Amino acid sequence: MIISVASGKGGTGKTTVATALALSVGYCQFMDYDVEAPNSSFFLKPYIKHIQKVTIKQPYFLTETGEDFSKCAEFCNYNALAVLKDDVIFFPELCHGCGGCMLVGPEGAVREKDVEVGEVKKGVTSPNIDYYMGDLKPGSMRTVSVQSALDKAIIPWELVIIDCPPGTSCPMVFSVKDCDYCILVTEPTPYGLNDLKLSIDVLEKMGKPFGVVINRDGIGDDEVEKYCIKNGVKILAKIPNDKEIAKYYSIGESLVEYDKNWKQKFENILEEIEKDLVV
Amino acid sequence: MKQMTIISGKGGTGKTTVASNFIKLANDHIAVDCDVDAANLHILLEPKIIKEEEFTGGAIATVTGECINCGKCEEACRFKAISDSETGIKINPIRCEGCGVCVYLCPANALELKPDRQGSSYVSETKFCILVHARLNPGAENSGLLITRIRNTAEDIANDKDLKLIIIDGAPGIGCPVISSLNGVDATLIVTEPTLSAISDFKKVYEVAKIFDIKVFVCVNKFDLNLENTKEIEDFCKSNNIKLIGKILYDDKVSIYLSQKKFIVDCSESEAAIEIKNMWENIKGYLYGR
Repeated sequence: MIISVASGKGGTGKTTVATALALSVGYCQFMDYDVEAPNSSFFLKPYIKHIQKVTIKQPYFLTETGEDFSKCAEFCNYNALAVLKDDVIFFPELCHGCGGCMLVGPEGAVREKDVEVGEVKKGVTSPNIDYYMGDLKPGSMRTVSVQSALDKAIIPWELVIIDCPPGTSCPMVFSVKDCDYCILVTEPTPYGLNDLKLSIDVLEKMGKPFGVVINRDGIGDDEVEKYCIKNGVKILAKIPNDKEIAKYYSIGESLVEYDKNWKQKFENILEEIEKDLVV
Repeated sequence: MKQMTIISGKGGTGKTTVASNFIKLANDHIAVDCDVDAANLHILLEPKIIKEEEFTGGAIATVTGECINCGKCEEACRFKAISDSETGIKINPIRCEGCGVCVYLCPANALELKPDRQGSSYVSETKFCILVHARLNPGAENSGLLITRIRNTAEDIANDKDLKLIIIDGAPGIGCPVISSLNGVDATLIVTEPTLSAISDFKKVYEVAKIFDIKVFVCVNKFDLNLENTKEIEDFCKSNNIKLIGKILYDDKVSIYLSQKKFIVDCSESEAAIEIKNMWENIKGYLYGR
């Protein structure tokens, strides 16, 4: 079973919930798909055994051959290529590495090389968690390529917990596309509510079952709760607003370490999700 | 005309809160919300939309003809968007990046690239300035393109009305939307927090800002949450010659002001108000001082 932990708004507590769930259950594959800003390692403290470079293929053009590369530029849907009279200007940050230019260009004059866009780190953490995290290289736009490398490691019949990136665009959708259930973490503020509605919209369109965790409960207002009740959205848990929890967070201590009672609560949440999915 | 972008790396550190207060304090300016997939600037600014435009960026491969199950498309697709091509054909729109390789290779002309309506962009009036914002459709891919489009719109308006400044609220992360909202700006403010997570993300997003050679300012929100971590941020700034221009106290009331649709700078009892005003003076001094 794959559980994705997502949120529209950033900083609402995705990683807090995902890591606490993993530590409470004790066994799972934990995947940090927030490859632009991965933070789960602070809380899970994995022993990293293996680092794999993530590369994409990018073209280079043998202009000294005097060949005409204009077909390559015409083909490129990302405008990563401009062909001048006797030169080719390539914009690597726009290239998706699709291989199209090599396909349509003069034979042998378009070559490809591997370009690093990030890393996947694999490790273990106690009690029985297989840990994977993607880390995008600063300056690269290939978020999805790093996530795609994580996809390969997923063993869907085990319990898989995915810590998602914020937002509702491609990196978020990519992280929930294979999940059986999505936990949406929000906070009771107008920003939290606005972005919760956006992420519910995404999940409903994708047909994914979901429930909500309200973090920093007590701050702001009660509009999020009212919205959930009115729309029949299940509230899985409320984590109180507490400066002590924030202090624990600041040094990378999990919610379960702050208060052992959360272990039982998260086990119950998992049970509830499993029950939901059977029905 | 000057441009400045507010970013953070980690989400939820206070980008939009700082941005909206700067927007209230500034003069002769225009605002852009570049967090196009979870925009929040409109919540405090309460814009009235005066112009809406459809945004079509990119395309998705679609089966429109008779597939002969040759499997060529599946083999060539670098994004693993095509499956079951030898028994039927399935295209996963989430994975498809619209490159067109499959369309080119299909011997049966069974595939086409269909333009993908990916969102809308808006020009709005607010009490303080014009706001250019957008809504990217769920799962849409071209956030960078949409951001470039709304930034161009803002630049046109600013030139036309002879405005001095564009204030840009950025997205979390370090990827495509962040890069697109940093490209060509004069300065950036990174809002961070004294937590291990936020510090790690701050350093990553700083790497990105360095690539663009932009003047970087830093603000530590909730600095008293962990003074040791705040010290680490201060030391990092010092050794990298980054100007730390503000430290904001941890204050739960900020969320209450937000729920009441109040700007912090209007709440005279809030210490954060003074700090944000000072930060703004500092940035203004840099932008207009030269």
